[in-house]
Amino acid sequence: MGPPKKSKKDRGSSDKFAKKRRAEDEAYTQLVDDNDSQDYASESDGVPGAASKNAETNDENTNTDEYGAKDYRTQMQLRPDHANRPLWVAPNGHVFLESFSPVYKHAHDFLIAISEPVCRPEHIHEYKLTAYSLYAAVSVGLQTHDIVEYLKRLSKTTIPEGILEFIRLCTLSYGKVKLVLKHNKYFIESPHPEVLQKLLKDPVIQKCRLIRNEGEGFIQGTVDSKAITQFGTKLPTGVDNPAEDSASTSAAGGTTAAAGATGEGGAAAVAVPDDITDFYEKIDKEEEDEDEANLKTVSFEVAQEKIELIQKRCIEIEHPLLAEYDFRNDTNNPDINIDLKPAAVLRPYQEKSLRKMFGNGRARSGVIVLPCGAGKSLVGVTACCTVRKRALVLCNSGVSVEQWKQQFKMWSTADDSMICRFTSEAKDKPMGCGILVTTYSMITHTQKRSWEAEQTMRWLQEQEWGIMVLDEVHTIPAKMFRRVLTIVQSHCKLGLTATLLREDDKIADLNFLIGPKLYEANWLELQKKGYIARVQCAEVWCPMSPEFYREYLTTKTSKKMLLYVMNPSKFRSCQFLIKYHEKRGDKTIVFSDNVFALKHYAIKMNKPFIYGPTSQNERIQILQNFKFNAKVNTIFVSKVADTSFDLPEANVLIQISSHGGSRRQEAQRLGRILRAKKGAIAEEYNAFFYTLVSQDTMEMSYSRKRQRFLVNQGYSYKVITHLKGMDTETDLMYGTQEEQGQLLQLVLSASDLDCEDEKVPGEPGYRPGGSSTTKRMGGLSSMSGGDDAIYYEHRRKNVGSVHPLFKKFRG
Amino acid sequence: MADTKSGRFASSSAAISPLVQSPENLECKNFQEYLRTRQTPETLEKLYNYPPICLAVYRELPEIARQFVIRILFVDQPVPQAVVTSWGAQRVAKEQMEATSCLTALCVWRVTAIPGGLAAWELSPTFKKSVRQVLLGGGKPWAMTNTLDKDSKPRDITFLDSYAMSRWRCVLHYMVGTGGRNGGTDAEAISPDAVRILLHANLMKRDERDGITITRQGFQFLLLDTRAQVWHFMLQYLETCEERGISLPECLSMLFQLSFSTLGRDYSSEGMNSQMLTFLQHLREFGLVFQRKRKEGRFYPTRLALNVTNKDAAQASTTADEERMQERGYIVVETNYRVYAYTDSQLQVAVLGLFTELLYRFPNLVVGVLTRDSVRQALRGGITAEQIVSYLEQYAHPNMKLVESAIQSKSCLPPTVVDQIKLWELERNRFTYTEGVVYNQFLSQNDFVTLRDYAQSINMLVWQNERTRTMVVQKNGHDDVKRYWKKYSKSGG
Repeated sequence: MGPPKKSKKDRGSSDKFAKKRRAEDEAYTQLVDDNDSQDYASESDGVPGAASKNAETNDENTNTDEYGAKDYRTQMQLRPDHANRPLWVAPNGHVFLESFSPVYKHAHDFLIAISEPVCRPEHIHEYKLTAYSLYAAVSVGLQTHDIVEYLKRLSKTTIPEGILEFIRLCTLSYGKVKLVLKHNKYFIESPHPEVLQKLLKDPVIQKCRLIRNEGEGFIQGTVDSKAITQFGTKLPTGVDNPAEDSASTSAAGGTTAAAGATGEGGAAAVAVPDDITDFYEKIDKEEEDEDEANLKTVSFEVAQEKIELIQKRCIEIEHPLLAEYDFRNDTNNPDINIDLKPAAVLRPYQEKSLRKMFGNGRARSGVIVLPCGAGKSLVGVTACCTVRKRALVLCNSGVSVEQWKQQFKMWSTADDSMICRFTSEAKDKPMGCGILVTTYSMITHTQKRSWEAEQTMRWLQEQEWGIMVLDEVHTIPAKMFRRVLTIVQSHCKLGLTATLLREDDKIADLNFLIGPKLYEANWLELQKKGYIARVQCAEVWCPMSPEFYREYLTTKTSKKMLLYVMNPSKFRSCQFLIKYHEKRGDKTIVFSDNVFALKHYAIKMNKPFIYGPTSQNERIQILQNFKFNAKVNTIFVSKVADTSFDLPEANVLIQISSHGGSRRQEAQRLGRILRAKKGAIAEEYNAFFYTLVSQDTMEMSYSRKRQRFLVNQGYSYKVITHLKGMDTETDLMYGTQEEQGQLLQLVLSASDLDCEDEKVPGEPGYRPGGSSTTKRMGGLSSMSGGDDAIYYEHRRKNVGSVHPLFKKFRG
Repeated sequence: MADTKSGRFASSSAAISPLVQSPENLECKNFQEYLRTRQTPETLEKLYNYPPICLAVYRELPEIARQFVIRILFVDQPVPQAVVTSWGAQRVAKEQMEATSCLTALCVWRVTAIPGGLAAWELSPTFKKSVRQVLLGGGKPWAMTNTLDKDSKPRDITFLDSYAMSRWRCVLHYMVGTGGRNGGTDAEAISPDAVRILLHANLMKRDERDGITITRQGFQFLLLDTRAQVWHFMLQYLETCEERGISLPECLSMLFQLSFSTLGRDYSSEGMNSQMLTFLQHLREFGLVFQRKRKEGRFYPTRLALNVTNKDAAQASTTADEERMQERGYIVVETNYRVYAYTDSQLQVAVLGLFTELLYRFPNLVVGVLTRDSVRQALRGGITAEQIVSYLEQYAHPNMKLVESAIQSKSCLPPTVVDQIKLWELERNRFTYTEGVVYNQFLSQNDFVTLRDYAQSINMLVWQNERTRTMVVQKNGHDDVKRYWKKYSKSGG
């Protein structure tokens, strides 16, 4: 589990000794997952100042009561009809919502628009108002006044003044100005003339402005209402455009769905105070009105070459521009001939998320958050089919490039000639294709490329892309993303992810780089409706055998990890679970971050395994076998399979080692088995997620941390202290003390590199360039084949005295 | 000769002293257990002079025992035991045995010999007389009589319920709100007598520094349901009442009379002696009776008094009133260990604060979270995982019971949370204890090895050390090993 501290130290020291490597390293230090603060000073530019405002600190002066709880009772009064209203708002921006309230439906839709969900279990949900979430709210069309008013009506108590202030602060200037590409011209557009007035007073923006009609003489033109061309943005609706595609159908479908929901809510809400329903309907109507675009807006044109400048300036003056793409009126870029197949049916939540994106007939940039397996790719494909301009899909591995291609072929009318893959292994001819699928690292690669790749890159840079789909957007940090942006010109960006969270919370900045979060699904609700599998999560406690525990207590950190992963009772539990599920006819994936353990487990049990160095061909072969061969029911994979390995068959996941306390990894792994299983509704659970944990080791606390995200989504982990039937199972390995002793010897003689997690591109400590495989080195003894007959006491002494620097260079 | 010491031996060699003494837990007895353990036959006899007590005893008897009593109540001579046994079928022999032993233990009947040498049962004459009086009337009038004139301002049941609960809460508030943190208004103060009872019951203790503080038993007490609390408290009261010069049988009798009374009716205190009037004032303080003024000769028993002995009544009666009386469930426990409590009651918050970490307080909601630390804190304070779980279950919000999983399983709490609380408790006692006997000071290595090998061969050896010639043998193996050792040393070893 490369401990963060160590990798940092190593980096520092390697800089001193190997200047040459620094350039390469630099490219990857940005990817560091940990809380290294050094990089972030520069990262905050491009993010408006108000984003740093935090409601969390609003309640610092709140008194705590005698139990240490923050006492808000003096700051709010309970309203007389509080029983009929569903939520409480705390002065620190946290909002608590009763899910059993009759107005839950309304309140939930509203809260998801204006705040971030913190946890959504069965009964009471917690949300949090943040600068980003409010920004997102404004950008989908909510007004400050509406937010405040509706919040007031939903709340059981009066709203604390600090929160009202916070909402006003975050919404007044944000999301008011849009950058729209229309008829191949760029316009700055806003429904609020006063905001544009203000912008035009700024000298930098004045310079960027393009005035066609009045001639060049009027450059110094006074900033008055005459200068602002005002027109209603009446858009052609679906009727007069027969080629109108799924967007309108999806939008229409979504609308009816919403209308149905309102009706249903209205019927159920007997006890609901009228003001809530009234207001809900009003807001709902406004949202729909936007489709017909009755909204009066004002706009002025700006010079295309100065877009970059104007965007930067607008952020500086706290009016970040929202990018919107009026793709239907873009005649500059050719349409591509792609449609959804009739067989592709969108689920309600997919429709809803797309409706947020194409809400006003234009394409908004933003992020859509759906659980793994809930059909993110279909959302991406539909978005591309809606825009019908050149589309660029970025994902993070070669395997997922292939999967995206398949998804396009499955859901849309696109054929091979239209889809071009651009990876180190597959380079299709890009010219003339409509959809390009590639990886982040291909785009941001700084080293020399092959001539062919060079050509493709040049072509790619020259294109004006209609839509850019960013898969697993949480994995790319801001700096890398910025580089992508400088290379690729795209009108609209759609981020897709399951887990919009990072251990370092820096994810928030993406909101301003891609766009606001447009939609986030509720895992528990999707599970209840059967869109994703019902997963039983379990934490299996494996007691450390006394010998292993003694070593665990005495050895140094990196080896500790190997000891608890290789704990014989863990091995036995794993073997037992695999056998159990193979008998049931389940398909099992076993995850291990540690390659040494991965190989040992897999080879011992005679199962196929995939890790970093496994070639693309072999990977695909193993995955195909896993899918179709009834004899291959279990595969072992390293963390390379964490994201975007689509294995719809798998329904059991066993985790034997993991990356410290990473919540994201846990959620991503769960995602591997979330795809809804066919015909298995009858059972209470149809997928199983086991985490094997060695008792009394660090793993226990890591496990706690890892589970937080899923627990907040409403999942619950069952702790299994004893696997039923394991005692009677006779043919498990490592049953005798002798065998366990041998295993211990093996572990103790493992080299330091074995103790570390596998390094995958995009992780700290990964060394790019050179060979793609990490050559594992043992000591002299292991090179001479003496690993089995090792004088381990002797070696242990040696290991202890090795200077940390040399560890680096042995590899 | 080896020196043997008997003692407990922990299989783990860590220091164990504080753990060995298993901490005293709150014992909550029912009426029967109370009579059996606390009263001698003489005092029981004294108690049976009071018809209400006899009626209460009769009600608490097992069903078969009640049958027996009623059958021989009007039989004036002893009934042969064989006859009594023949009343029940063979398959209920066990229940019959229980009934018989119960009647004997409570001195309701006793063994006598009848002519012909047969053993026979004879009801205690006092008991017989009192029960007959209860059933047929007669004897002295009960101390509690119906009032003659109508109350000008009668009190309804709702009022009595809320009055009773508010009084009872004062006692509980006092227990949690000590240390002068929230001072307490006059209405909330409780009398020195009540404090004395709490101290006597070991629910609270006097601390040198902090004055009076709550004990572990006190915490456990708070987690009980109201009926059990009142009953436990009253038992403790009865134990101290003799010191105060109030007669125990009279108090008990009065208490039972109250429990047989009708809710919402007013009774007169006329004819009570001064001791009973004092007792009545105490009951008034705890909320068992309502009396407008101290001197007024009229009082209303409350539901607390009615339910005090009658556990079946509390469960069986689920009328609308009863539900209102039973505090409505207000706690929501989530799978992410969050606890939301719809309450503004200081008491409920205090109890919740015992085992949860409270985060926010809204005017009608408390938000907390169950953490390992907060639960361990409670466990250290002597609360058991079982008590926490049952408290949460007891006050679970009605919505918790509607969840799919709650309908399938018995508990309405998320199973993972229940498991986790129990695991947190288990992780505190991972030592396993084996009682054993130490053998040491062997004269020769040979002796030691022989005895050790023997102990090992019969699987009784717990631990041994050759260097110090010490071994530990399981307690039930001690006799065997000792015998072997005697034989061995006699044979000239």
